[in-house]
Amino acid sequence: MIRTIEIVALVLGAIIAWLAAAYVDSGLQFLLCEVFLLFIMAQMWNLLAGYAGQVSFGQQMFVGLGAYGLCLMANNTGIPVWGVIVIVPVIVGLLSIPLGMVVFHLKHAYFAIGMWVAAEVVFQFVVKTPALGGSGGIVLRPGGEMMQGFPEQTVLPVSLFLSMALIVGLRVFLRSKLGLATLAVRDNEAAAEAAGVNIWRLHMILFTLTGAGTALAAALYYTTTLFVTPLDAFGAKWVVLMMFIVVVGGLGTLTGPVVGLALFIGIRELMTAAGYSGGQYWIVMGLLSTGVLLFLPQGLWPAFSNYVQSLRGKASS
Amino acid sequence: MALISTEDVSRLFGSVCAVDRVSVELNEGESVGLIGPNGAGKTTLLSLLTGSLKPTRGKITMDGIDVTMLPVFARVTAGIARAAQIPQTFNRLTVRENVLLPAYFGAQLSQHDAGVWVDEVLEMTDLFDRAGQQAASLGLLDRKRLELAKAVASKPRVLLLDEVAAGLTEPEIASIKEVVKRLQPGRVIIWVEHIPFALQGVCSRLLVMDKGAKLLDGPFDEVWASDVLQSTYMGM
Repeated sequence: MIRTIEIVALVLGAIIAWLAAAYVDSGLQFLLCEVFLLFIMAQMWNLLAGYAGQVSFGQQMFVGLGAYGLCLMANNTGIPVWGVIVIVPVIVGLLSIPLGMVVFHLKHAYFAIGMWVAAEVVFQFVVKTPALGGSGGIVLRPGGEMMQGFPEQTVLPVSLFLSMALIVGLRVFLRSKLGLATLAVRDNEAAAEAAGVNIWRLHMILFTLTGAGTALAAALYYTTTLFVTPLDAFGAKWVVLMMFIVVVGGLGTLTGPVVGLALFIGIRELMTAAGYSGGQYWIVMGLLSTGVLLFLPQGLWPAFSNYVQSLRGKASS
Repeated sequence: MALISTEDVSRLFGSVCAVDRVSVELNEGESVGLIGPNGAGKTTLLSLLTGSLKPTRGKITMDGIDVTMLPVFARVTAGIARAAQIPQTFNRLTVRENVLLPAYFGAQLSQHDAGVWVDEVLEMTDLFDRAGQQAASLGLLDRKRLELAKAVASKPRVLLLDEVAAGLTEPEIASIKEVVKRLQPGRVIIWVEHIPFALQGVCSRLLVMDKGAKLLDGPFDEVWASDVLQSTYMGM
């Protein structure tokens, strides 16, 4: 069941979201949209890889599907953009079921690579299909008209509230029966099956939900950019970002990705402000993730909380 | 009708026959010790019963219903559970959560019923005091107890014990024996063990395997005293 503190968090999230829409200036709104949507994507990857043990190198496929789903459906039907954003994740979730039936035959590293291949296949298909805009991509033109207003003013409060709701939702989920099964799978998949858990079904549920969640975040993101190209939407940079945020922050923890995301955005913004151009910040990210994996392989947040616990242990003894 | 039976069950690994046409019938309330030299196929037979391995030939039935093709999780809900040789615990979960999982999924209990049942299981396996502890922090005896508790929590009618006494001291084995005795009523227990002391006084029947095949099967004392057993198992 949902706890009081979680209801408080949701209400606070709603209030902050409303304030952010009204008072944050446009430039910052774009940045914050990206922050919250990256958080949602990273948390989806974390649920799949960190909890369900299915490391995937192909989650950019769901970003691309979300982006293309948004543009194609908004441009070619009369459904308003905000309606499309709700429908697209449902469709992507349904699409991921037959995909799962195929890729679940692969395990561990084979699954990770298999997902990458699947993403690449979809990418190539989009590039080679003129009706989908080919390599040039498509512009978001709802009903054939230019997008009106400032979408980021809506996307920011929505993504901020969704991030808060996601944390609360995951906490509630992990306390449920299925959540306990997920935590058990994180520790020992074979033993979870020997306890009566239908692992295949659990994987399918999480695969579908995380695919849909990633597509939702992507649809929101591309509503603010107003156009989509296959190279951008199906780019491996998305899954690299998700992995960096989760692995550096702490795989299989709810707080870890917050830490990872803060580091990523902080370093990127500082370096860009200091005049380093383009992708130079990735050099620092690479060094940082190598360092973390070498010295604190469980990630920064678990290392920090273990350290605090050991201090407390010393203080109490 | 037998609670669980195997009919001519075989399992080949390439050209090696790990289990060779084994037929056994087990009735409710029966506890069977399963012994044999290393490589005799004891653990493979247990794996065939839990479904983690599929037999190359033969049939496994429960209450007369064919369960040969059921996957592991479905066999657990059907009532077959194993306590593994090396405890397979969920290290980041508490002892209580470890036992809750099979109560939810294996025994398919509701949240409330599972809570009551888990308390009972923890009491039965002498783990009640450690319920809140992380599984990773347990010592070997408690890990073995937890492995047993996990198997029991799924309310199995067929309980398979794979060397649950291995690596324990004599007093520890005695305490595990007490736990197993409490579990006997209404169940079939198949206990694989290298230590005869563990099986004595618990198992009424003894099954001896050698080179994948069933060698001897009968009342514990009779089989234990037989010359064939002495020569194959003890090398005498």
